[in-house]
Amino acid sequence: MSVGFRAVQWNRDKLIYDGVLLAGVALYIGIFLIVGAQLDPPQDVPGEVDLRIRAFGSAAFLMLTVILSIGPLARLDRRFLPLLYNRRHFGVLTFGVALMHFGFMIDWYLVQDSLPNLGTELTTWPDYGKFIGFPFKVLGITALLVLFLMAATSHDFWLSFLTPPVWKALHMAVYVAYGLVVMHVSLGAMQFNYSWFLPLMLAGGFGTVSVLHVLAARRERAVDQGSAAGSDGWLAVGAPQSIPDQGARIVVAPGGERIAVFRDGARIGALSNLCAHQNGPIGEGRIIDGCITCPWHGFQYRLEDGCAPPPFSEKLATYRVRLRAGAVEVDPRPLPPGTPAAIDCPIAGD
Amino acid sequence: MRRSHRAIHRALWPALALLVGLGFALALALRPPPEEPPAAQVQQP
Repeated sequence: MSVGFRAVQWNRDKLIYDGVLLAGVALYIGIFLIVGAQLDPPQDVPGEVDLRIRAFGSAAFLMLTVILSIGPLARLDRRFLPLLYNRRHFGVLTFGVALMHFGFMIDWYLVQDSLPNLGTELTTWPDYGKFIGFPFKVLGITALLVLFLMAATSHDFWLSFLTPPVWKALHMAVYVAYGLVVMHVSLGAMQFNYSWFLPLMLAGGFGTVSVLHVLAARRERAVDQGSAAGSDGWLAVGAPQSIPDQGARIVVAPGGERIAVFRDGARIGALSNLCAHQNGPIGEGRIIDGCITCPWHGFQYRLEDGCAPPPFSEKLATYRVRLRAGAVEVDPRPLPPGTPAAIDCPIAGD
Repeated sequence: MRRSHRAIHRALWPALALLVGLGFALALALRPPPEEPPAAQVQQP
């Protein structure tokens, strides 16, 4: 293969993450099937299949809701960062659960020898002009295709092949898939199921995701407004002590990308805030074992020059830093990735 | 995320949320009433 990539290895954290995930999904589906069968016992085989359709469908919706909540939650509170660590496995499992939902839907037609009816439903063209009565299964199938596309490209090979910016843009299609799923249920199951479970599930899930995104966006917007540049274009960061030791402050040139200014004792350096792996917010990470560590997946870089320690080869753009009148300033014009640019600053009290 | 991603995210999200929220509300408001049970099954006083 012409595209170089380094697979992220399995480790204990990933195994625990996946174990908890699988157990949680199995528990939800198991409880749904047992409680559903007791509340409304299926009368025949199609009824049993229908219960499975609902169990896997609602599980996929709730999983998608949690996946979309992890991003803003991690921005609002660092304690949620561990959920971000293996979110791609969460996404692939969600596609698997959604595929099972689709499979049981096909099975529902098969056990009644009526699979051609599905074709008729999907090709009754006048129904596409209706709102109530719209072929809602098309919405679900489209969402499933989007989830498939994302699951199929979730591997680090595709991240490397497509480059992080393109890969990230592609994976934003998850929002479209979520919208399609909400409308799939709204125009489908909700039209002939009069319990309050479905409207509450949809409104609760969709409302939670929306509120979390609005809160996180408000916080992000404040950061993106940018710092005023001096007459020579350099940005004021503040006194060296204002940068947390082994942590960073993030500054932004008006209209520019974010810059993470890290301090390790008396050593100060500025790097691009975009991790080379998935463009994660490196400035929200910490210095661990002498290396700047991305909070998303633990990719590491040296403060000195933005290079990953050997044997890794990732490099981040660095920025020139200076101390002027007791304040740290950074030049927002990036240096070529891997250029040494860190400086020593006298720290009061050190 | 890059600045351009955040800009797309901020533009896409509210539009999509509004569209889906409106669709959900309409689907809830316009759904047909439940079918009446057959007359034979209605209990007589």
